[in-house]
Amino acid sequence: MTRPLVRALGIARRYGDVEALAPTDVELSGGETVALVGPNGAGKSTLLALLAGALDPSEGTVEVHARVGWVPQRPAHYARLSALENLELFARLEGVPDPGAAAQLLLERFALPTEPRPSGELSVGNRQRLNVALALLGEPRVLLLDEPTASLDPGQRRRVWEVVSALRGEGGAVCYATQNLEEVEHADRVLVLLGGRVVQATAEEVFG
Amino acid sequence: MGLLLRKDLTVLRRSPLLLGALCAYPIVIALLVGLVAGYASSKPRVAFVDEDGLPAVIEVAGHSFHIQTVIDQVAKEVTLVRLGPAEASRELASGKVVATITVPPGFVGELLTTVRSPSLILRTGSGGLAPRVTQQMQSLVYRLNNKLQQGYITANLVFVRLLLHGGSGNFLGRRFDVLGLDGTEKMLQGLPPSKRVAAIERFVRVARVGLAQTGAALQATAHPIALRQPKRKGRTWVLSAQVQSYGIALTVTFLALLLAAGAAAAEKEEGTIGRLRRGLVSHGQLVWSKVALAAVVGLGLGAAIAIVFGIVVEAGGVSGGEPWARLPLLFVGVALAAAAVGAAGTLLGALAREPRTASLLAVLVVLPVVFLGLVPRGAVAPAWWVSQLLPFSHAVRWFGAALYDTDPWRALGIQSLWLAGLGGVFWLLARRGMRTLSA
Repeated sequence: MTRPLVRALGIARRYGDVEALAPTDVELSGGETVALVGPNGAGKSTLLALLAGALDPSEGTVEVHARVGWVPQRPAHYARLSALENLELFARLEGVPDPGAAAQLLLERFALPTEPRPSGELSVGNRQRLNVALALLGEPRVLLLDEPTASLDPGQRRRVWEVVSALRGEGGAVCYATQNLEEVEHADRVLVLLGGRVVQATAEEVFG
Repeated sequence: MGLLLRKDLTVLRRSPLLLGALCAYPIVIALLVGLVAGYASSKPRVAFVDEDGLPAVIEVAGHSFHIQTVIDQVAKEVTLVRLGPAEASRELASGKVVATITVPPGFVGELLTTVRSPSLILRTGSGGLAPRVTQQMQSLVYRLNNKLQQGYITANLVFVRLLLHGGSGNFLGRRFDVLGLDGTEKMLQGLPPSKRVAAIERFVRVARVGLAQTGAALQATAHPIALRQPKRKGRTWVLSAQVQSYGIALTVTFLALLLAAGAAAAEKEEGTIGRLRRGLVSHGQLVWSKVALAAVVGLGLGAAIAIVFGIVVEAGGVSGGEPWARLPLLFVGVALAAAAVGAAGTLLGALAREPRTASLLAVLVVLPVVFLGLVPRGAVAPAWWVSQLLPFSHAVRWFGAALYDTDPWRALGIQSLWLAGLGGVFWLLARRGMRTLSA
């Protein structure tokens, strides 16, 4: 049996007395796509942030055996820097061998504006595309996407699913959170979260 | 860390309003500091109250003194303004004059007797210039006394000459005739020789020799020690050194705190702290990047203030000018102080979690920090001790010592340890704050 690319054992997150995520076990294996569904406040973003290492778990452990790319729900980039500058900066921080070339490639792939315009002045859709592009720096084998297609036009949504499909085809793992039931069809497996816990239910049952 | 510092500097460069304020700030501060230094070197206004009706000319022991000329000659350090007693009191109370010097009734009469010392009355306000004005008035009286002494000596020598040669004299308005030693000797020559006459003749000779030396002796006792000060350019140390040190420390504290707090909180607001902490940058490195930002910008602003200040005071002819050779030493202190303040600012930013709150918090924190730094040790001991736990007061002492102390190394060593220690503590707290911020 092949080793999972990401394994979380009993990870939980509490904010004071509030339990955002109850102890949860999750595994992401190569070649699979997992959809996280659940209503607002169910703990989807918390689980993805914990898997990405952007948050420390209150308890439990996360084992990561591959490079991970993370698309947070809210675009996370420097608003005063252009899209290209953001990509170059994070490429350098990721230790990408040729940061300039990698940044340029992603800029073109996601049809992002090339002019030196602050990314904070870009449209919501362009900012979300930049958010996704930043996650792909360093060619991650695991992609964690938090509602990645929100604010994207149909063409750009298709491009995102192409990326997901390609990564899965190359033996990578993808886990994405969504509230759009139509997007569940891209997943091999669905995890339903409710009140910070993984529940045995279908997505249709959760959303009523 | 270098990448994040470069990013923060680029972000700063692209914030036109903030950049404009950063460029204008040192110029404005330096101009203000230069003006204050200029004021420190200018003549304070002192009221001159004449209650005795000084004549235009006074004759003391045959020497004529033109009052206004004497005042002009002696009042090198102050501007004397003739005022009535009531007006002088009002202006002293309102701060329009920093002191009043009063010539009381009967002053000239006592002066002319040459046997009593009349008094001038000095009243000073309660402002910071009072000690300086008191010193200048003491200097004025000293110079007046120097001028009058010659007249007094001449008057005394008139009596000595009378004793020597005889003649008519005047004392306290009464005329009198004196035989004198010459006349005594002549009378003795007309007397038959005797032991008594011989003894008197010996006394007359000894007295003549002794009195002949009286002029030099009077001069010597009038000036047992004369203080001469070679003329040279000299900074009015206390005030201008302090205002420049406070000016730079205030600017560096204000901006380093504000920038570091804003930059730290912005990482949270823009959501980038989540990306960074995924193994790209440690919390410690993130704090270092904000500390470096504060140090770089603080150094730039501190240097600009010192240079513009130097140009302003040189152009304004303020005595002393800028100690240009000491500026590299000053820059080391500015970078150190800005870094320590930057660590405190990063902590504030981490606690505030949001740039606008962080900026407001930084402004609110700066004012008491600066105020506490101005409290003298003996005034309010608890406030002084609290100020020791903040970088501002140590920065002021560092800058003052670097710019003006003849042997600054001990002071610099102590203040460097303070700044490094406080910076280290704030750095640790800021790292902890960053951990909380990213949670």
